[in-house]
Amino acid sequence: MAVYERSYGRYTGPATSEWSRFLVLPRYAYEVVFKSKLFVGFLALCFAPPFFALLVIYLYHNVSALQLIGLTPQKLAEIFPISNSFFFYGMWIQGALSFLLVFFVGPALVSPDLRNNGLPLYLSRPFTRTEYVLGKMSVLVILLSAITWVPGMLLLLLQGYLEGAGWLARNWRISFGVLVGSWVWIVYLSLFALAVSAWMKWKPVARLSLALLFFVLMGFGGAISGILNTRWGLTLSPWHVIGAVWVSLFGLEPGELLPPAGACWVALAGGCLIFLWLLSRRIRAYEVVR
Amino acid sequence: MSSPATDRRVVFDNVSKFYGEVLGINRVSLSVPPGITGLVGPNGSGKTTLMNLLVGLLQPTRGSVRVLGIDADHPEELFRHVGYATQYDGFPPGFTGFQFIESYLRIHGFDRTEAEALTWKSIERVGLVEAAGRKVAGYSKGMRQRIKLAQAIAHQPSVLVLDEPLNGLDPMARAEVIALFRELADGGLHVIVSSHILHEVDLISDQVVLLNGGYVVAEGAISGVRDEMEEEHPAQVLIRCNRPSLLASRVFEQDHVVEARIHEDGKGLLVRTRDADKFYLLLNQVVLDNDLTVETVMPTDSDVNAVYQYLIVGQGEKP
Repeated sequence: MAVYERSYGRYTGPATSEWSRFLVLPRYAYEVVFKSKLFVGFLALCFAPPFFALLVIYLYHNVSALQLIGLTPQKLAEIFPISNSFFFYGMWIQGALSFLLVFFVGPALVSPDLRNNGLPLYLSRPFTRTEYVLGKMSVLVILLSAITWVPGMLLLLLQGYLEGAGWLARNWRISFGVLVGSWVWIVYLSLFALAVSAWMKWKPVARLSLALLFFVLMGFGGAISGILNTRWGLTLSPWHVIGAVWVSLFGLEPGELLPPAGACWVALAGGCLIFLWLLSRRIRAYEVVR
Repeated sequence: MSSPATDRRVVFDNVSKFYGEVLGINRVSLSVPPGITGLVGPNGSGKTTLMNLLVGLLQPTRGSVRVLGIDADHPEELFRHVGYATQYDGFPPGFTGFQFIESYLRIHGFDRTEAEALTWKSIERVGLVEAAGRKVAGYSKGMRQRIKLAQAIAHQPSVLVLDEPLNGLDPMARAEVIALFRELADGGLHVIVSSHILHEVDLISDQVVLLNGGYVVAEGAISGVRDEMEEEHPAQVLIRCNRPSLLASRVFEQDHVVEARIHEDGKGLLVRTRDADKFYLLLNQVVLDNDLTVETVMPTDSDVNAVYQYLIVGQGEKP
């Protein structure tokens, strides 16, 4: 019988390593993302604050250049002291821009696959749900890294190099704050965006929901704190929570408005767990139609 | 239990799948050989559940599924052997046909060079070379079906699972795709196809699996399934000949013939028999003895459509 001839040959050659396969997803996602001129313009704008910080650090160590604009090192140090607060405010600006970037990119990551029933195509390959989420998340992680900790660390290295004499070692807490603070925000925002994208099948609705959730939580947390005269209400607000975490990481005075850092770490961890649970409910190869 | 024979088959061993309280399939035991297998059943009969179990997207609630001797505990190996095309157009936005296939091959673990070579090979096989650089979003329904088929065969699987692959194809494309199925099956591949187009399932399938309400109601070659139903649903044969009345009088003497009716145009006889083999022997004898001129002898309810009607729709007669 012809069907038993087995002339058909299955591929038996080598395969690439399993751990790297999730990187196929960002590669193609970027092709789509970078087609938007609006996004490219916004991404360029995200590099303006680090560039400004670079300029300040350079001027701080170049007296002749400072004189050209009529400033002295002392005057510049009064306006922009190169300290943990300098890098903290840099983080604060880049953190806000990160949310806007996620607002642009995040909602389009999972929702089209769900809308088109595309998940079975991914998951009927040697590719797990975790790898799928990692792949989609890496789209955001790479972009957010490029505007947060990567320029932050480069600026720190430059400052350390120009200052010399162990400045980096003395200010290790700034490096720690930039690295850990950025990564915590990146992971939180990425999971937040993916979870919303996984539950809202239409991109504009997902985008609107992301913004609404973020600002509603912020407003609700602020209202609770205001009405009950407590700091704890702000643990609902992602922006205040990450602010408190950054303040603690940079070793700054927390002030009276922000909730305790410990509670904020718990709130962030809780948020991430909820997002992961939401993702695990939706990232499946099938949907039961009742 | 694995053996060389079962290692070349897709085996469902008493498999049940429930989605909470919703039944997917229940107590399904199948052993699917190489060749083209048609999955037939109404909406909600469990076809897609069966396919999802087969490709490892679902785990059975009870029982086990083994694909060529590999069970779902080894997904990496299982997914290499299986190619799946869903009934949905799950195309990532903005992809060209080439990118669509190449990206999934990269996910499979092929390096860039190998992935590109395999992509072109599969695109060529489904006749979409000229459209490979165009966005899938701009493809016609038929082209989308073909590019889905290309992604399913691109990594050279041993088992091809295709959910409604003929939907939206024009007659020419259908013929080409069916020829491709035949070619793959003749090479030793398992091609498992679900379809609502019964006459095409009949045409292309070496065996069929009929599902209804989550249960397998019949499986095997259509002729074998039909033979087993002869007691309850006697086979119908239309004989076009010059003296249908004479033929009717002769055949009606036999116990296994339950009905002999002259065709409306008076030029044929419709016979219902519980033993088709005996009837054909009898027919030969009657034709020789009485010098009848026979134009055609045609079974009218031996195809998958009739089997479907009897077993699933339950109308008892072919429409």
